[in-house]
Amino acid sequence: MSAVSTESVAAAPARGSRGLTFWIVALVALILLGFGVWIYQVARGLQVTNMRDNVIWGLYIISFMFFVGLSAGGLIVASAGRLFGVERFAPIVRLAIVEATITIATAALLIIPDLGHVQHFYNLFIHAHWLSPMIWDLTVILIYLVLSLLYLWLYMRRDLAAQGSWLALGTKDTGEAGRDRDHHLTYILAWIALPAAVLVHSITAWIFGLQISRGFWYSSIMPPLFVSSALVSGLALVTIIAFVVRRSGRISFGDELGSFLGGLLAVFLAVEAFLVLCEVLAGYYPGIPTDAVHQLFTGRYAPGFAVEIVVGLVIPFVLLAVAAWRRRPQIVVLASVLALIGIFVHRANLIVIGLGKDPIALAPGTPLGIPQANGSSFATSSVYFPSIWEFLIVAGIIALSALVFTLAIRYLPLKEKS
Amino acid sequence: MSPSFVGVDVPDPKLQKATRLGMVVDQNRCIGCWSCAVGCKEQQNVGIGLYWLRVLTVGGPFMDTPAGTFPDVTMSYQSTNCFHCDNPPCVKACPTQATYKMPNGIVNVNYERCIGCRYCMVACPYDNRVFNWRKPVQEPPASVTVVGETPARPKGVVEKCTFCVQRVTDGLLPRCVVVCPTGARTFGDLDDPTSEVSVLLRDRPSYVVFPERGTRPSLHYLIRTGPNAVGGAL
Repeated sequence: MSAVSTESVAAAPARGSRGLTFWIVALVALILLGFGVWIYQVARGLQVTNMRDNVIWGLYIISFMFFVGLSAGGLIVASAGRLFGVERFAPIVRLAIVEATITIATAALLIIPDLGHVQHFYNLFIHAHWLSPMIWDLTVILIYLVLSLLYLWLYMRRDLAAQGSWLALGTKDTGEAGRDRDHHLTYILAWIALPAAVLVHSITAWIFGLQISRGFWYSSIMPPLFVSSALVSGLALVTIIAFVVRRSGRISFGDELGSFLGGLLAVFLAVEAFLVLCEVLAGYYPGIPTDAVHQLFTGRYAPGFAVEIVVGLVIPFVLLAVAAWRRRPQIVVLASVLALIGIFVHRANLIVIGLGKDPIALAPGTPLGIPQANGSSFATSSVYFPSIWEFLIVAGIIALSALVFTLAIRYLPLKEKS
Repeated sequence: MSPSFVGVDVPDPKLQKATRLGMVVDQNRCIGCWSCAVGCKEQQNVGIGLYWLRVLTVGGPFMDTPAGTFPDVTMSYQSTNCFHCDNPPCVKACPTQATYKMPNGIVNVNYERCIGCRYCMVACPYDNRVFNWRKPVQEPPASVTVVGETPARPKGVVEKCTFCVQRVTDGLLPRCVVVCPTGARTFGDLDDPTSEVSVLLRDRPSYVVFPERGTRPSLHYLIRTGPNAVGGAL
């Protein structure tokens, strides 16, 4: 049995090597393109984006929130499994921590193109203002990144040492006693990682939820809603990559784990739906027509909300709620992809609708920042769709993330020694 | 030789000693002419497409639309610039202390500190801040406008009304106050009970925008009175 699995691991890269080469070349091309576009953006200013004074934040911040969520969700699932002794998570725990580490670094990178005066970013460190939720977030993200790297390394260092990898960082002992000690250390670290993961996304939520200027955001439900979105998207991504990586033979688990993950995702989706209902009903019930919540049902962004609810919540929930369906990996992966799309749209709605209206709302409104050839150079509401440059920069950063992930899958010991 | 006026071209030492500078706009006098906005642009060298001061109209989706149904129509305006709040959400939000409250009450921006994250714009409940999406374009070029001590802004930083901090430091009134053809704008120390702004606020009913948000703006509007007065705030 073990001979067979060793053979398949050895054979997998040879079989897939052309595809792998193409994949890596494509990612490198996207990274270079994205970097080039970012240089262009720095030279020309943020005018190359479709953000303006009436749409202050756009795709960069939406993607930032999305990736913090992916990371927090992945680490919550991994560390909660460890803390509460859910042993069946064991085959994918390392994969989940790899995912959490890479996505939090991606989130941090996504902030950089959003800075208009990026040359002076060091002021964040030398003139940090501790009343600003943005500084809380920067701090917790950096701590969290170090924490997840340490957590990952503790899980893997004995195996890295056995491989003779320099990543073992001097660890030589590969004996059982040392492994047991590390296993206990990961348990202790799980006690820190779980609240840290909850906190990292709560603080991201407070960037928005503490601003009295934006009625759509100023709500105490923001942190729970963000954590629930993180659980859905993080678990969905871990599930998808677990099935993809399993095909390469780098990890192995039975379909029943997929079914378990699917069932868990259904629970998370139900919690998310409940919190969205709480948020929407509280905005809708008083019947104030100017409340931003009405834009979810009527107007330009209503289709986005419909996608969020139907594609992102209802369909995946139904697919996963039926036990016979969620036993099939294809269904679980499909439902996970839909849930990921739903959470991304949810976050886009949050930003675009939250910032979509001039708060004073008197004519002619807010100056746009760049005069318009046709029509008013002011606006009382916004229309936002990202520019090609914004898409290319985000694609470049995601490609970098995917490249690091591919290399991590290829070279890190992802299998738990049983 | 033209006469000199205190605060316009003769320094007023009271302005230099103020602890809570504020502005009062008389809605009975404002005619919505945008002179304040133009004076501001000229004084502060504000780039094309950006406004530190804009004149809002009540009524319809466009400028200068009357409110009401003919013949019962009224024109009303609200010239709006940074309110220099006593509890400024932008100052709390700024991650680099680039925007800060001065001892005289002015909320100012340090363009060297600003990293262009625009969190202050998100935090401002009044959309009174503008961002340099590109290198500021001045028309006519900066060299022929009244530059004074206004620092140049690079692209990618946030800017906004500073109550003409460089004029106030010299004891002069903000430019929008000086150029207003109807004298609708008055400026002074809200902490000084004898100042013109304090007297006006004592004698006439006034309002601030979104008082329920607790920002405590330092720019007050005197409520319109007389036959064409509109109900409510404006």
